[in-house]
Amino acid sequence: MLAFGRLEWLYEPVCLMIPFYRRFANTPVLLLSPAVLIMAFVVVIPIIFSLYTSLTPYRLTRPDSLFTFIGVRNYVRLFGNEDFWSAFGRTIIFLVIALNLEFLLGLGIALLINRLTWGQRTLRTLMMFPMMFSPILVGFQFKYVFNDNIGILNNALQALGVTDQAIPWLVDKNLAMFSILFAEVWMSTSVFAILLLAGLFAIPRDPIEAAKVDGCNPWQVFRHITLPFLMPFAFIAMTIRSLDVARAYDIVDVMTGGGPAGRTELLWTLIARVGYDNARMGQANAMAYVSTILSLLFTYYFYRKLMQARRYMGGAQ
Amino acid sequence: MRRLTIFTLGAAIIALALPAPAKAQDYGSFDGYTLRVKLIGGAQYEPLYAEIEKWESMTGATVDIISRKNHFELDREIKQDIAAGSLNWCVGSNHTSFAPQYGNIYIDLNDAIDKDVLAGFVPLTLEHSTVGGRLVQLPRHSDVSNLFYIKSLYEDADNKKNFRAEYGYDLAPPQTWEEVSDQAKFFADPPDFYGTQYVGKDEAITGRFYEMLVAEGGQLFDENWNPTFNSSAGVRALEWFVDLYNAKAVPAGVANYLWDDTGLGFASGTVALNLDWAGWASFFNDPENSQVAGDIGVIRAPKGSSGKRTGWSGSHSFSVTETCDNKPAAVSFITFLTDHTRQMVEARKGLLPTRTQVWADAKKEFQANNQDLLVQVFDTWQASMAEDAFTPPLIPEWIEVSNVLWPRLQGAVVGEMTAKQALDEAAEGAREVMEDAGYL
Repeated sequence: MLAFGRLEWLYEPVCLMIPFYRRFANTPVLLLSPAVLIMAFVVVIPIIFSLYTSLTPYRLTRPDSLFTFIGVRNYVRLFGNEDFWSAFGRTIIFLVIALNLEFLLGLGIALLINRLTWGQRTLRTLMMFPMMFSPILVGFQFKYVFNDNIGILNNALQALGVTDQAIPWLVDKNLAMFSILFAEVWMSTSVFAILLLAGLFAIPRDPIEAAKVDGCNPWQVFRHITLPFLMPFAFIAMTIRSLDVARAYDIVDVMTGGGPAGRTELLWTLIARVGYDNARMGQANAMAYVSTILSLLFTYYFYRKLMQARRYMGGAQ
Repeated sequence: MRRLTIFTLGAAIIALALPAPAKAQDYGSFDGYTLRVKLIGGAQYEPLYAEIEKWESMTGATVDIISRKNHFELDREIKQDIAAGSLNWCVGSNHTSFAPQYGNIYIDLNDAIDKDVLAGFVPLTLEHSTVGGRLVQLPRHSDVSNLFYIKSLYEDADNKKNFRAEYGYDLAPPQTWEEVSDQAKFFADPPDFYGTQYVGKDEAITGRFYEMLVAEGGQLFDENWNPTFNSSAGVRALEWFVDLYNAKAVPAGVANYLWDDTGLGFASGTVALNLDWAGWASFFNDPENSQVAGDIGVIRAPKGSSGKRTGWSGSHSFSVTETCDNKPAAVSFITFLTDHTRQMVEARKGLLPTRTQVWADAKKEFQANNQDLLVQVFDTWQASMAEDAFTPPLIPEWIEVSNVLWPRLQGAVVGEMTAKQALDEAAEGAREVMEDAGYL
């Protein structure tokens, strides 16, 4: 290969006579070009286009507004927009709570299923059921579960004598966020459970056996061997889910629509309303660009944690 | 020659004087053509679509329904089509509240439909379907809300006696919103039973506030499009909702309710009074679905302190795109979907017709079938459509103004701010919308 490479340089004038697409040095470029072109078409061009629209007063119903350049006016407006920053902060809190709950519950479920010797496959399949539902369907399901007047939850609580009040699950400042979190966690905990279960299956038995021989109790084995080994899997799940949760829309829109009074407004319910209902796509894209900072920060954070966890386990850098 | 002329003239006069025999509408022939349409979907709209195959066999055309979604999703899709320049379909479902947003993508039906055909429609519905002097939609069915109530509550002797003792006047179906408030508080026994309820989010609560504002003597904007809903009338209107919420006369979750929640709530028998659309009447009176079947009364929407009744109204409709490659076929299709026979199909489901004759014919049919509630519904709604109905401002910014307004209305209802603070804040936001749109 090396010799051929040298020859190629020696015979450069000859090479110049060979068409571009037949030159050896251009082969990688040519082979990669379909992928590069597809990436450019489906990723880069839409990103550049949406970035440009965020610098215009673009309205969906007035396509001509796409050609009016207003610089960073949408962004400047955004910095004084209290509703946006409230939704931004609420999304961070929602994300942190949802990820931690899903991790803890997913870990618990994975550990329990890992102990089973009979029916494990059936349980693993059942566990995936909530993931198979469309988020819109999950939203409707929990909207009626949490309905204060005709909802099953309040009726059950009243019938059992737990309360004689109609608890406003979807209206109260804290309960409304709790209800949405409940739906989100119900639907997606299995993502953590499945990834962590895969991690548990992959744990080598030797360190655990050695720890037991050395007199470690089950908690010490879990704390110092099992959990560190599982953390790379947990951080992969967290990276995936943080991107999902930061884009949470369907469940919130169906259950509360971001209300009441913006109490459950998350970034994407606000962005969708501005972009589609108000048809102000330029402004919505500016919001979306600022909100991607959130996803980038979380992805960067979890990636760093993943690398640290792998280093701890002696894995690749 | 002269004799022939006189004879011809005489024959023509006699022919004009005689009543014309009823003739079936000719919907034309469009053999082999495929009409692409986007229609609103949902249980109450589907019976009409079962009629489409009749138009297909009459005209030889085929209808391709490329989208069937609820109106909010359809609205988003149409906006995306406008943005992408891909209006490659001919007929779309439309609504009087949404139509002004779409600019000139739809044809003026005044130029495309016979005057005789248009004369069959209730004039007010055509007026509401007109944007900037152009008839951009043909009304399919209209709606306005009136008050359903549980009859037996008003016939109960104890209720009558106790109400009189507490409020100093006789218990009877309410004529004013103040009476609704009194009665709602009287009947409420949370969490088992509520006096009334209202929709509490999205354009739904904006519309309810708007009609209450009008009934209180206020307006959303002045003649120069300055927001004026934060007036004393506006505060009174909003405080009506807040007061009932604080008194627990409405379910605690109303701030999150939409039409299905209020409809199912009344059908569950746990709400005394319910302002709602006519389309729910059959559902409420169906023992399969409703605990209050056979025990329902209905009256015209009550009056506010100005003496005017609430009457937020709108019409579902059909429009034809300017980019349609076969406008005659599209016009034929929407004329068919709104003709007498088709409107009777929808009227039997409780949807309010937009053709004058269908009001009379449907009522006659209900009377013959002893469908008393539907007769009462048609009487009540006919009066309110004629005298009380009004639309929101038919401007493209209506939905955007609504999106500024409703979170603040909710804020006042759930006690995060006073009614005045909420309306002042919303007025500021609405002013910005109107300034951006060039009104101010």
